[in-house]
Amino acid sequence: MSMNVNTRPADVMPPWAKAITLPIILVVIWQAWAMTLPETSPAPAPLKVVQSFVELTASGELVWATLQSLGRVLAGFAIALAAGLSLGVLMGSSRMVRENLDPIVESFRPIAPMAILPIAILWFGTGTPAALTIVAYAAFFPLLINTIHGVSRVDRQLIRAAQTMGISRLRIVIAVVVPAAIPSVLLGSRLAMGVAWTAIIAAELAVGAKSGGGTSGGVGQMMFVFYAYSIDLNGIVVCMIVVGVIALLIDRLFRLVERHLLPWRN
Amino acid sequence: MSVQMIQPKPAPKLRLKGISKEFIAPRTGQRTLAVADFNLDVQPGEFICIVGPSGCGKSTVLNMIAGLEKSTSGSIEMDGKAISAPGAERGVMFQDYALFPWKSVRDNVGFGLRHGTAGAGMAKAEREDRINHFVQLVGLKGAESKYPHQLSGGMRQRVALARLLANGPDVLLMDEPLGALDAQTRLVLQVELLRIWGETGNKDDRKTVIFITHGIDEAVFLADRVVVMSSHPGRVSAVLDVDIPRPRTEEVRLDPRFAELSEEIWSLIRDEAYRAIA
Ligand SMILES: Nc1ncnc2c1ncn2[C@@H]1O[C@H](COP(=O)(O)OP(=O)(O)OP(=O)(O)O)[C@@H](O)[C@H]1O
Ligand SMILES: [Mg+2]
Repeated sequence: MSMNVNTRPADVMPPWAKAITLPIILVVIWQAWAMTLPETSPAPAPLKVVQSFVELTASGELVWATLQSLGRVLAGFAIALAAGLSLGVLMGSSRMVRENLDPIVESFRPIAPMAILPIAILWFGTGTPAALTIVAYAAFFPLLINTIHGVSRVDRQLIRAAQTMGISRLRIVIAVVVPAAIPSVLLGSRLAMGVAWTAIIAAELAVGAKSGGGTSGGVGQMMFVFYAYSIDLNGIVVCMIVVGVIALLIDRLFRLVERHLLPWRN
Repeated sequence: MSVQMIQPKPAPKLRLKGISKEFIAPRTGQRTLAVADFNLDVQPGEFICIVGPSGCGKSTVLNMIAGLEKSTSGSIEMDGKAISAPGAERGVMFQDYALFPWKSVRDNVGFGLRHGTAGAGMAKAEREDRINHFVQLVGLKGAESKYPHQLSGGMRQRVALARLLANGPDVLLMDEPLGALDAQTRLVLQVELLRIWGETGNKDDRKTVIFITHGIDEAVFLADRVVVMSSHPGRVSAVLDVDIPRPRTEEVRLDPRFAELSEEIWSLIRDEAYRAIA
């Protein structure tokens, strides 16, 4: 009997095929169920979702709202990355800094991003700055915590080795501590990106409610309009799928970056 | 006028005076006296080997000379100045290699030249030449772009050796530097190490070496003096002069004096070695 694992039938399918098999089956079941409902039912159905997607794309609405949200997520993430990384390296490498700041960080961390929305709106109004604040706030903590973890867990022996080569303290942080922390930082980035999307949709939903479908835009507000004004559940599902697919693509991008930055890991 | 007849003994390169080291476990407060009353003067250009049973404090002594570990009492001086911190003039080859996992073989060997004081003011081409030279010397040509996790234990050890030599320190502190190598490679590198140290050249050009080993024959082959340590707590139990002329070649191993010295060292640590496994 052959023991060659490569000949097992399950492995004949390429990975992408495995990834879409189950979703296709579920969609088929969903459509079959929807067809048993009366034509006037507001329940979303796959074919209606596709129709809604085509309409929203053709009108340019969906693309514009998606770009708006994506832009906010990326900008908020960038702010969080800069802040989380620099503060994380400081807190991770200096015990004095860590012990002083840890209580502050830990008492803010359990406060949900949505809870600071009122303050953000009072300060910045209902536009992009408020949304950015929420996203950056949400993304900041995973980045900070993982950077601290990565930096403080650096193999001490490597730092000692660098010291015996006459390398300065600052240079050790740059050439030893930061590279050693990169795997943790990347993990933190992926988590941060996830919560950034959660935060932007929530913020846009809430800001949308305030301004009654005004100027702030974004996928979240589009969802709010579908929900509150046109009761279009198919449109909401389109928004959910778009956000899900974009988040998935970004995550894949992170993995690519990871492979590029960490060729030394198997 | 009187002519001074007595040559003044040169000032020691390293002076370890009454060193002791006690470790205190952070949580339990448990104390371990790792090293006690350790005395040793090392002359410039001298090749010292330290042998002793596992756990007797060899690495601890080395770390204190490196400035990585503070002694609990006693003083350590280099060129008459107290050692308080690590410095590039005292290069260390660690027992666990301490290679940077995210750096290739090349970049590990060149790490000190790139970031440390050893390569300050060195042109890029010169640095590359130096890296190539030492990579070749330890027989790692062809593996330059591999990462540490892709190497065997012996290859990693040779990367660490090349890195130490590339940095060109004044004092070489080596913790079992050839321990992971196969017997043949070890013999070849022993000869190579003596050549790099400057055995055939001018005595004044030699580097000062502290070399920890478990191999008694290795110690006798390499050293000017062998320091034998005993454990619990770690102290110097004997210092033997290796009066075998240099340059030493493979024939030295057949010298009756070689066998005699090896036997003497073995007799000093035999009892403790047997007791350790009894
Ligand atoms: N950081 C530490 N904390 C507590 N005890 C330590 C520490 N480092 C070493 N020791 C203890 O000090 C003693 C000497 O250790 P050391 O590593 O110097 O031995 P060694 O002679 O190098 O042994 P080996 O030949 O196995 O490498 C041991 O009993 C060890 O348990
Ligand atoms: Mg040791």
